[in-house]
Amino acid sequence: MNLIVNGSEVEIVSPPLTPLLHVLRDELDITGPKAGCQQGGCGTCTVLIDGEPRRSCLTAVAAVDGASITTIEGVGQAEELSAVQAAFYKHYAAQCGFCTPGMVLAATALIERKGGPVERDEVLEALGGHYCRCTGYVKIIDAVMAASRGEVDSVDDLPVPEPGQPEVLPKGSPA
Amino acid sequence: MRATALMIQRMTLDVLFPASADEAATLYGDGEGITVFAGGTIILPEIAAGRLVPERALMLHKSGLDEIRTDGDRVLIGAMVTVAALAEGDDPFLAGAASQVADGEIRRNATVGGNICSPPGDDAQRGDLGGALIALGARVRSTGAGGERTEPVEDFLAGDRAGRLVLELEYDGFERRTGAHSLRRRHAHSYAIAGAVACSRADGSDLRVAVTGVGPTAVRCRSVEQSRDPADVLKDVQPVDDAVATAAYRTAVLPTVVREALDHLEHA
Amino acid sequence: MKAVGARLPRYDGLGHVTGRTQFVDDVRVGKTLWVKALRSTHHNAAITSLDTSKAEAMKGVRAIITHKDVPKNVYGHLEGLGVPGDEPLLADGEVRWLGQPIAAVAAESEAAAQAAVEAMEISYEERPALFDIRNALDPDAPEIHQWGNVYPHYGPYNHRRVRKGDIDRAFDEADTIVEGVYRPQAIEQVPMETQVSLVVPEASGRLTIYSCTQAMYFSMGVVAAHLQVPLNKLKFVGGTVGGGFGGKVDTATETICALLALKARKPVKWRWTREEEFLVSSTRAPWHIELQDAVSKEGWILGRRTVTLHDSGAYARFSPYGLTKHAFHHSGAYTIPNLRFDGFVVFTNRVPTTAMRGFGVTSVSFAVETHMNRIAEVMGLDPWELRLKNANRIGDTSGNGVVLKDPSTVAVTLAAADRVGIELSAEYRGMNEEPRTGALLPEHLVAQQNLNGEGA
Repeated sequence: MNLIVNGSEVEIVSPPLTPLLHVLRDELDITGPKAGCQQGGCGTCTVLIDGEPRRSCLTAVAAVDGASITTIEGVGQAEELSAVQAAFYKHYAAQCGFCTPGMVLAATALIERKGGPVERDEVLEALGGHYCRCTGYVKIIDAVMAASRGEVDSVDDLPVPEPGQPEVLPKGSPA
Repeated sequence: MRATALMIQRMTLDVLFPASADEAATLYGDGEGITVFAGGTIILPEIAAGRLVPERALMLHKSGLDEIRTDGDRVLIGAMVTVAALAEGDDPFLAGAASQVADGEIRRNATVGGNICSPPGDDAQRGDLGGALIALGARVRSTGAGGERTEPVEDFLAGDRAGRLVLELEYDGFERRTGAHSLRRRHAHSYAIAGAVACSRADGSDLRVAVTGVGPTAVRCRSVEQSRDPADVLKDVQPVDDAVATAAYRTAVLPTVVREALDHLEHA
Repeated sequence: MKAVGARLPRYDGLGHVTGRTQFVDDVRVGKTLWVKALRSTHHNAAITSLDTSKAEAMKGVRAIITHKDVPKNVYGHLEGLGVPGDEPLLADGEVRWLGQPIAAVAAESEAAAQAAVEAMEISYEERPALFDIRNALDPDAPEIHQWGNVYPHYGPYNHRRVRKGDIDRAFDEADTIVEGVYRPQAIEQVPMETQVSLVVPEASGRLTIYSCTQAMYFSMGVVAAHLQVPLNKLKFVGGTVGGGFGGKVDTATETICALLALKARKPVKWRWTREEEFLVSSTRAPWHIELQDAVSKEGWILGRRTVTLHDSGAYARFSPYGLTKHAFHHSGAYTIPNLRFDGFVVFTNRVPTTAMRGFGVTSVSFAVETHMNRIAEVMGLDPWELRLKNANRIGDTSGNGVVLKDPSTVAVTLAAADRVGIELSAEYRGMNEEPRTGALLPEHLVAQQNLNGEGA
């Protein structure tokens, strides 16, 4: 079996009924998709399969042989965030961060599909299978809508922490 | 074309990939020792957790059963058509029912064949599409011991489904009035607490009513069809307890759910 | 103070949105063994035999531990605060809740670990179980805990007490007595990341412990105590928690992983399934709260009697502390001069209960605020005015003797009323938190008012 994962073709040796989630995490060491419930109930494992968001824990790898898989690792880097990632960062839509990869991918697919601004109800429908226990969803919904309207093209007005620095300290803080 | 059999490391497990419907039927035989793998949304977590260890799995993804087609007035839906495809399909009634199943991501895996074959879970009733298919007067073409047969969905659901491989569903395309109502929570894998669907011809004749989510399978409600009295639904079904709702609650709300569906049909 | 009010980015935000944040389950350290636990299948039972020999001989199994492998098996989460220990890390001779861990195995795959658990031979002698805290003190209730059915270590008492003022006089003088029973139920915290830890034995003899704990140094102390090793033998790596909400305060997996890593001399990981998270991880406690208020016809709460039962589950964990917080907050945000509070931590054969967002306080706040509405309804008073009238003010003394210097009840209540569009009369709209005088200082509140800031 073969998959194209984040643009690179890889040969898969896991057995055919292995959930795609385990293939990604355990065979390929791609850890962006999370094992939140492993029964389709939480959305932390969502990846894009040929551009469509699906639960990787419910997808046997053999059923998607040859498909193109996009995980959060294939969406954007810290230096070059996608619009959805930038919006999540800027709108404080990620708190503990465990649901974020699935949320970002589902939101990315929604905006791609719609090709323009998305309404609140559409966000609720598209993210209805994704749990977040931290934010209460409001910031996530705001972020997705803002990204769809092209409102967040840059996070330049937010200070970006230097690598290795634990956080941005205000001037005058004790070292 | 020959089926490919792969051995997996952890356990002796054949996975068969039939390349056509005929080959699927042949490999399935009488179903003995075969686990059918359609969308996998129900059985893959069971297999991954080691709670289900199939001897032989029949994967239908390459069997060509994933088409919706028409033959004269008949609409034919392959068993491997995804619930997402139905939700985005041409029939607004079926699309409406399909869009109530799980969430969009799961619907892209879930199949119509799997939906009508799913047994009730420990936590909830399943097979939300059964009601809509019964109301449409749909028939199931399946194979297994004794060969192929075609029967109404309600008869298929009432029988022993474990030994059947669903190949296709079909229904007659004509102008209908439809009505549906369901009581549910909005979340992935949140099955309906109770749902009712009704269809008739455009002139109101040939009323067909079914309920879903209140018992192990969807059920056709012949008493309601005859009397048109929503309260009679309790002559047709006996609601059950599960984690989603109590039998008492379902019993209390079901006539109202049926009335809503009939009202929608009336005013359609 | 440039940080206050400023929009600072989350220091971990870039890692989160790019999926680069490394949670415990994402750490890769080569050949890692997987853990599974043999768990009790009974609510209350004696273990009459346990044989792990078949499991030990299975392919891929690298280590198995039972209570015999734990240097200090019984350790209490609050021993540092003087609460004695009552809970074994691995069950020894008896089990007290469905899912209690009895033995743990580390194997080369999750499936091999699960197969080994299923090969362990265990037999039980079932005992009657107790599930309802209201029955715990009945003469015919089964005694399910070595301390009896009630936690006994509140100084000389077997329950937490608060005594303030003259409660009998308050009830004698009351125009109406308003009673209510409130029963907030158990809640699972449901973090998106289930309990997980990875323990790597280092060449130096130290253990590196990747943990999802919410309480690093606390967990370190718990592991060190069970292992009977000094803290410098443990290197905890934490700080990335995939949701906790109190559910990751108990040290759920780290100790067992550490023991297995030492025994197998291999890295060991234990990631709970979602089923384990729901069925055997500790929850918020259920409570039974009875309130009885002596109320004057003007709407003054003269006194409150409270009996509270806190469902601790099978062991104490943090419940004694949760009940103490509950006691402190049982008069709510209101000045009640006469109090009698009796709170019991009750043991049942349920999963032990623990922290969750304000545990101990949310339960009593729910009861108190619901009760305030009930009082208003019974007395025909406006619920907003009832709250504002009895609100804590500067110089008032709380149930546990704290003199309040900056209570916010009045301001918060007024703001809440404003937000939901409640029209208050001028008398109430103009209230503030300044010390009580005039009509707001009736006879029964004079004695407890303390403007010198001394404890009562």
